[in-house]
Amino acid sequence: MPRKVAIVSVAQIGGADSKENFYDQAYRVVKEALDKAGISREKVGCVVTAASDIFHGGISCANAYHWDPAGAVLRNGSRQDAESLFALVYGAMRIMSGHYDTALVVGLCKGSENPENDTCTLMFSDPFYFRPLGLNETMAAALQMRLFMDHYGITREQCAKVAVKNLRNALGNPYAHRKGIYSAEEILASRPVVEPLTELECAPKSEGMAALVLASEEMARKLTDRPVWIEGFGTSLDAYWIGDRDLLQGQLTNAAKRAYEMAGITAPWEQIHLAEITEPYAFQELLWYEQLGFCGPGQGGKLIDQGVTEKGGLLPVNPSGGTLAWNPYVSRGLHRAIEAFLQIREEAGERQVHREVKTALVHGTHGFAGQCHTVVILGS
Amino acid sequence: MARAVAVVGVGQTHHGRRMDVSYPDLVREAVVRVFEDTGLSPKDVDGVVSGTMPSMMEGVALTHLYFAEAMQAVGKPILKTETCGSTGVSIAHTAFYWVASGMAEVVLAVGHEKMYEGDSQATMTTVLDPFYQRYFLAGAPGVFSMQSQLWATRYKIPQDKIRDAAAFISVTHHQSAFDNPYAHIKMKVTMEDVKNSRIIVYPIRLLDVCPNSDGACAVIFASEKVAKRLGRKVAWVKGVGYRGDEQFFGDSDKVVWQSAIEAAKQAYDQAGIKDPLKELDVAEVYNPFTYQEMIFYECFGFCEFGKAPDLVLRGIFSREGELPVCPSGGVLCTNPIGATGLIRVAEAAMQVTGRAGEHQVPGAKLALAHAMGGIDQFNGVMILGSEL
Repeated sequence: MPRKVAIVSVAQIGGADSKENFYDQAYRVVKEALDKAGISREKVGCVVTAASDIFHGGISCANAYHWDPAGAVLRNGSRQDAESLFALVYGAMRIMSGHYDTALVVGLCKGSENPENDTCTLMFSDPFYFRPLGLNETMAAALQMRLFMDHYGITREQCAKVAVKNLRNALGNPYAHRKGIYSAEEILASRPVVEPLTELECAPKSEGMAALVLASEEMARKLTDRPVWIEGFGTSLDAYWIGDRDLLQGQLTNAAKRAYEMAGITAPWEQIHLAEITEPYAFQELLWYEQLGFCGPGQGGKLIDQGVTEKGGLLPVNPSGGTLAWNPYVSRGLHRAIEAFLQIREEAGERQVHREVKTALVHGTHGFAGQCHTVVILGS
Repeated sequence: MARAVAVVGVGQTHHGRRMDVSYPDLVREAVVRVFEDTGLSPKDVDGVVSGTMPSMMEGVALTHLYFAEAMQAVGKPILKTETCGSTGVSIAHTAFYWVASGMAEVVLAVGHEKMYEGDSQATMTTVLDPFYQRYFLAGAPGVFSMQSQLWATRYKIPQDKIRDAAAFISVTHHQSAFDNPYAHIKMKVTMEDVKNSRIIVYPIRLLDVCPNSDGACAVIFASEKVAKRLGRKVAWVKGVGYRGDEQFFGDSDKVVWQSAIEAAKQAYDQAGIKDPLKELDVAEVYNPFTYQEMIFYECFGFCEFGKAPDLVLRGIFSREGELPVCPSGGVLCTNPIGATGLIRVAEAAMQVTGRAGEHQVPGAKLALAHAMGGIDQFNGVMILGSEL
């Protein structure tokens, strides 16, 4: 039986821009998370960071630059690229292995110093076939959205309602970058980006630094009265060529299945009380509902119509405002985990949902049309 | 008690200037070979760890996406580990912890680089921060030159002795590369050739420096249960260690180099190694520069500080010596950076399982694999042994 792992403390900052430099921001969240856990960096078993080299910040080998403020100097450590929830999974597995009792997990993304999101995502394209087409994440998402609407009869209004919900939820989130009360019509009337996606249906480019202290069961009980357990996790990678894939039946189903099996979840709709999912494009939240098993294929539109994923609904999704409100590309997965942690501990302030949250789902994705997914289940 | 983890098989490409294959096909070549070596198939794999150098060197960002098919990773759990030059060993560490955690029985680790399609020194320059260091610490050789001069000055080692020892290392590795079917640079060199080769950054000359290579490496890590079921010799992971220094080059001592010392110490402690020179049978040290290789000998406790050139010239680290280093020809003859650290792990595994062919160190039972990354910033070590 693998060892249990808990999150014992969290810290984060965000927003659109900041006068604070990268080092100061990173240092601040790392120090805060360590202080909250009451543990010094010298006592932390290992450090796993997540940052990207996709020309983010103009620096190659991001770990070389951020090693000092991440508290990692002369500590055992490693770095995950692309997806910060990978770092959470890897940190948890290091503790499960029995080699460490604690791990510091850090996600770093200073969006204001990065090029536009799609300047970076264009670099996911291979140099021969996709790149001459200019394929980037938004173009791939637009193709996926068109297929989603055509195949299931999902309407543009239903997709826009996700943005309505999440940007309204974001009003309670001090770190959210884009927020407000919008109607579906206003969302659809915002600037067209790639047909049929409009600006408010696409996530912005934001800043975000996240730090979490993980601990084994024994250590967690020493460090906090209210550990939040990592009950399950799963990742899955899809084929690269989008023409080779079924864009409506992706690998999220597989990633979720792995996490559910580990956490003993057989009926996600009943056993999960809150979800923080990564929806860089509004319609994807509906598609991810389906692949996470919250509803049947093609039923995502009905779920949003019924309001069950609203903050006051039966299964609140993205009470933080999600990625549409705040999108530090690399660290965004860890911000979802932090929100779930706060909701489970009833520390989410204005964003606290009405229902009791014992089990929460956290999701991250990157790549064209959701090529790669990570699901983590947290519980009280 | 942590779960035991073994390297059960390895696959390498023929490294070199591989204009005959695309980048995905290069990756595929290594992955196909690790399945041939182990008799396992992609359906046996519970997880894949991918890693390489930064996007600027690849020309593609987040390469695990592009190489999903080549790595046979479609539908598989995935992690993407990158720590600059030490990536290869960090990939191996990730696979090790994944199996040790109980979350997988079989993990495939893949590292790769196609350097003839990129510009490695331009990329290395962007590893430095944009405000202070980038303007004067361009590329790798300048940094390694300063490091070797600092070392020579501190221990008052005569320049001609260091020059001879470094040339001796170059001759030894270039000779060994002839015995490694996968090695890139295969050329006969003499001490005089090295000493008369073109200056890159004083005192480093062309034959003191590794090449750019195209290459990939795939290694399968497995649990004790799977390792025993395979019914073949495997290499058990006896110890792992990793440390990184400060980003700013001047903030840490690169001679009595703490990240190298502590990474090795962590791995030695786990493996129960007290006298590495005596207990290790072979070491695959990450040696892109001849001079730096000697600093690693000292930091890894193979000899006292300032004494490595004497031991080198006595042949202690040669193929027939007390502790043969890089019988594969090492990084000096083959350097596809994102794969290089993993090749060290693969070579160490080949040695302790008696499968190193022409460059086998007879009777090797305990081996060290090492990689270094950043601007002299990161060091990772893995110890492999023939016995559980």
